[in-house]
Amino acid sequence: MSTNRWLATGNYFTSYQDEQRLFFTHLDRTILTMFLLLLFVWPLLFTLSNKYMLVIDNILIAVVAIIGLNIVTGFAGLISIGHAAFVGIGAYTVASFSRTLGDSHVIITHAWPLMIVLSGLTGAVFGAIVGLPAMRLKHLYLAIATLSFQMIFTWTINFLEFFNQGQTISISRVFWFTGKLGRKDHYLFWYYVLLVVVVLSGFMVRNLLRTRYGRCLSAVRDNDRAADAMGMHPGLTKVYAFGLAGFFAGVAGALHAYVYRGVGFESFTLHHSITYLAMAIVGGLGTLNGSFWGPAAIITLELQVETLAEHAGQILPSTWNLATALKPFSFGLVIVLFLMFEPRGIANWWRIVRSYTKLWPFRY
Amino acid sequence: MSYFFQLVVSGIVVGSIYALAALGFVLIYKSSKVLNIAHGQIIAAGAFIAYALTGWVGIPIYISFLLSMVITFFLAMSVERIFLRRLIGEPIISVIMVTIGLMSIIDGLIFLTPFGSVNFSFPQFLPQELISFGGVSISWTQLVGVIVTVLMIGGFSWFFKKSTVGISMRAVSDDQFASMSVGISVPRVFGLAWATAGLSAAAAGGIIGNITGLNFETLQAFGITVFPVVILGGLDSILGAVVAGIIMGVIQQFASGYLDGNWGLNGTAEVLPYIILLIILLFKPHGLFGIHEIERV
Repeated sequence: MSTNRWLATGNYFTSYQDEQRLFFTHLDRTILTMFLLLLFVWPLLFTLSNKYMLVIDNILIAVVAIIGLNIVTGFAGLISIGHAAFVGIGAYTVASFSRTLGDSHVIITHAWPLMIVLSGLTGAVFGAIVGLPAMRLKHLYLAIATLSFQMIFTWTINFLEFFNQGQTISISRVFWFTGKLGRKDHYLFWYYVLLVVVVLSGFMVRNLLRTRYGRCLSAVRDNDRAADAMGMHPGLTKVYAFGLAGFFAGVAGALHAYVYRGVGFESFTLHHSITYLAMAIVGGLGTLNGSFWGPAAIITLELQVETLAEHAGQILPSTWNLATALKPFSFGLVIVLFLMFEPRGIANWWRIVRSYTKLWPFRY
Repeated sequence: MSYFFQLVVSGIVVGSIYALAALGFVLIYKSSKVLNIAHGQIIAAGAFIAYALTGWVGIPIYISFLLSMVITFFLAMSVERIFLRRLIGEPIISVIMVTIGLMSIIDGLIFLTPFGSVNFSFPQFLPQELISFGGVSISWTQLVGVIVTVLMIGGFSWFFKKSTVGISMRAVSDDQFASMSVGISVPRVFGLAWATAGLSAAAAGGIIGNITGLNFETLQAFGITVFPVVILGGLDSILGAVVAGIIMGVIQQFASGYLDGNWGLNGTAEVLPYIILLIILLFKPHGLFGIHEIERV
């Protein structure tokens, strides 16, 4: 750790360990610490209405899910059209406790961190099971396998009496050291929890990519035969990529259940899977900071589309169902346009801005 | 026993439509190795165009079916031209994701029209009474649907076996570089594959619309049920698509005929194809008729 990287003219790495560092300079570390501090402190300085707090919570839940999707689609190069189902697995893990023990049992209200981890593990198990065909097959077939998992999941939830046939299963407010959470603090409290989870999973993935297992993923994505020749097991790598993705999805699902204080099947349909894919693509597949940009961009877009549809709905006749039409249309358009013109996503814009400011006033 | 045969017959009816829907899917996969996830939406679009032509414009129904096939032919061709042509050479994974995006776009466009919220049905143009022999009955709509499907599939098989264009399409699916070197325009073949897929999808949409009515959900669901069918048949085999389509149709009818209502089960026909799909992927991923040299990892 030495000079200011923004002023340096080259990389000056003298060992491979240098290159693998999380923070290249003290400045990098300071900036990140300050940024994280800011994220924790700002709610104390000015208050946001519950409506917007919920939007921010939504973005953070999606970030956790997209970190998972990015592992499987971005780093390992396997399309998953069933990510919402994995998120649903996590949510329904919490819901099944609520169904058997009652929605305000101690395990749900007091031991919620345990529940979140447990949901993650359940998600991981299901992810690995769905990924099993990866032992033999390439990505085309896996996309179909995840799609069929999505269909089976939706059917099972709608069919089983245990899951209330897809109707909402309620989950009561959790307890903190100060007692039961009030209605006012609910979203703020979960903002902090989500922030901690997001930071932890961000570091987890960043560290994963520095290890043998993380490099395995991108090696298998880039060329599985070469990876095989170098002693990796491509099939197993893909299975555990699915497992990891399932873990993050499960955690996101449990958080979703707690934030919304209920679980219903309509949050985990095929459309949501496609929305998750859109987030991953727009953010930038195979990049960690893309996992943050994507959900923020798509959820903001969703809000804008909703307001637009509301305004248009006042002018146009009510038979025009604009809100249901514009949402899939805009998501689809965003996916297609990004894939055609900016396949590396918003993360690439971030990279361009960074290198521009770093090199300024020179062009290159 | 006649219940059994009734289920078999209605299974064959549904299955032959699956076969027709799967045909278009296989065409695109065979020529360009792209999984067209938006296929169900193209089927729905074809059916809706046919209805709009006959119900709103007032064209006679037979002609409007033909016209809808022609329109979807050019529609699918332009989809390929606009969205997919510039992705040739990109990794296949991003092309598949473009079709996912297309699925969303077409969804949105259909929701803009009245078809997204209201169910229409084609005017009755065939006799209403059932044809029955030996306790098995079939409606005229279903019978005509099966006959049209058989004719279409026969026509397509002839097209691929004998015609120059069909042979060039098979050549491209076999080896793109070799076919380029003998003077086949690969992008044109891709466009043609999408166009013929659109045509067969419109035909399938018209037949489904006649049998079940024009419900967007139902029509679109056919596009997703195509996946189990093509996996069972082998992704790149037209014969496989036909056989697997009929097998899947019969299995679904058996499921709703024998499983539903017993042991508290309900709606098994919707989920069974996907369970079969997962099992096939685990144990026999090249399907019944697919080429065995599946790229394994």
